[in-house]
Amino acid sequence: MISIKSVSKWYGDFQVLTDCSTEVDKGEVVVVCGPSGSGKSTLIKCVNALEPFQKGDIVVDGTSIADPKTDLPKLRARVGMVFQSFELFPHLSITENLTIAQIKVLGRGKEEATDKGLKLLERVGLRDQALKYPGQLSGGQQQRVAIARALAMDPVVMLFDEPTSALDPEMVHEVLEVMVKLAHAGMTMMCVTHEMGFARQVANRVIFMDQGRIVEDCTKDEFFGDLSARSERARRFLDLVLPH
Amino acid sequence: MDFSAILPAMPGLAEGMLMTLKLMVLGVLGGVALGTLLALMRLSHNPMLARLAGLYVNYFRSIPLLLVITWFYFAVPFLLRAITGEDTPVGAFTSCLVAFVMFEAAYFCEIVRAGIQAIPKGQMGAAQALGMSYGQCMRLVILPQAFRKMTPLLLQQSIILFQDTSLVYTVGLMDFLNSARSRGDIIGQPHEFLIFAGLVYFSVSFIASQLVKLLQKRLAV
Repeated sequence: MISIKSVSKWYGDFQVLTDCSTEVDKGEVVVVCGPSGSGKSTLIKCVNALEPFQKGDIVVDGTSIADPKTDLPKLRARVGMVFQSFELFPHLSITENLTIAQIKVLGRGKEEATDKGLKLLERVGLRDQALKYPGQLSGGQQQRVAIARALAMDPVVMLFDEPTSALDPEMVHEVLEVMVKLAHAGMTMMCVTHEMGFARQVANRVIFMDQGRIVEDCTKDEFFGDLSARSERARRFLDLVLPH
Repeated sequence: MDFSAILPAMPGLAEGMLMTLKLMVLGVLGGVALGTLLALMRLSHNPMLARLAGLYVNYFRSIPLLLVITWFYFAVPFLLRAITGEDTPVGAFTSCLVAFVMFEAAYFCEIVRAGIQAIPKGQMGAAQALGMSYGQCMRLVILPQAFRKMTPLLLQQSIILFQDTSLVYTVGLMDFLNSARSRGDIIGQPHEFLIFAGLVYFSVSFIASQLVKLLQKRLAV
């Protein structure tokens, strides 16, 4: 579904990504972790071309991002993305947040879009908040709306960029719960997160990044099973994030 | 001082005020439209467009409005003749309006630009991630938020334009100040009429200013 091929990226002279390659198959849940500044957020933003890269290619559902002929907005419409800081549109109601792209990008009718939006709102447990504005919701609620907004576009894959990092601890759970349900429903997901509990529960594979490189790329069982087989950097990281 | 002549002159003065308001409202509408376009050019990734808009803004902010008004008064008919090949009388009103729109656009551009830049970067990313084109991102997500943020500044600038419209006297347009002045001259009481005009400008601008401040407070919450 996603095929990342030798992607490198520079900010001026500074190289943020070095020769990153990996695959995400249909229905697979891949967790990307690593210390801050390791390039994991940058990598996931390359997947829907929000961040340009200078070398390599990423192919999403058969469409090459490096190909200059690719219609990037069209590609992005099929890739859902959830951000660390939610990024709901504050001037629009929750319902409008859920329908605006369906109507303006996919060309759906208002009624159909609203219907779909409300169903998804139901699915994330926020049907009764439809008429409110983002500012009236808690962080956890906003993030659940953001997930519903992405799902409303019927994406072939969902990208999560640290979806719980900006949340109060007691709200992390409600967002993870939605993500777990989504994973169980068979959604293809690539998640940058430090929630190792989530990784253990639903990930098929774990990618560990450090200094712009993919250091580890293995199954969940390998990653959490035999620590002695892990790289020294990954061991140190796991030592810090895993509960003792 | 004898202000008794002012009351009978009211209908004429009101006509002048109508002209002033017409110039201001149309000038603001046109100026905001052109200014928004210029702001988008200045922020565009195309260096040519950005430079062009930058030059425009810096040029118009470096010359006096009075010069722009007189210049357009002579230039617009001339330009139209060059384009259409025949004499096309435009009149003082149109040439003044064009001058205001072009001049104010430079100031509105900077307000709009600051407004756009005040919107968190992530909003653009989120809009793009939903598959919106650049134009849709701007129109549906960024600009509506930016305009809400900058409404007080836009109104403040409009109040300045309300006062600046009085410069149209140079080309003989009968705005509020000009009609007050000429009426005063005819009757032989120029001071009374000018004092009255000053009071009106002050009251309108001051009250509008206070209202903007109130709005600013409400928007800040």
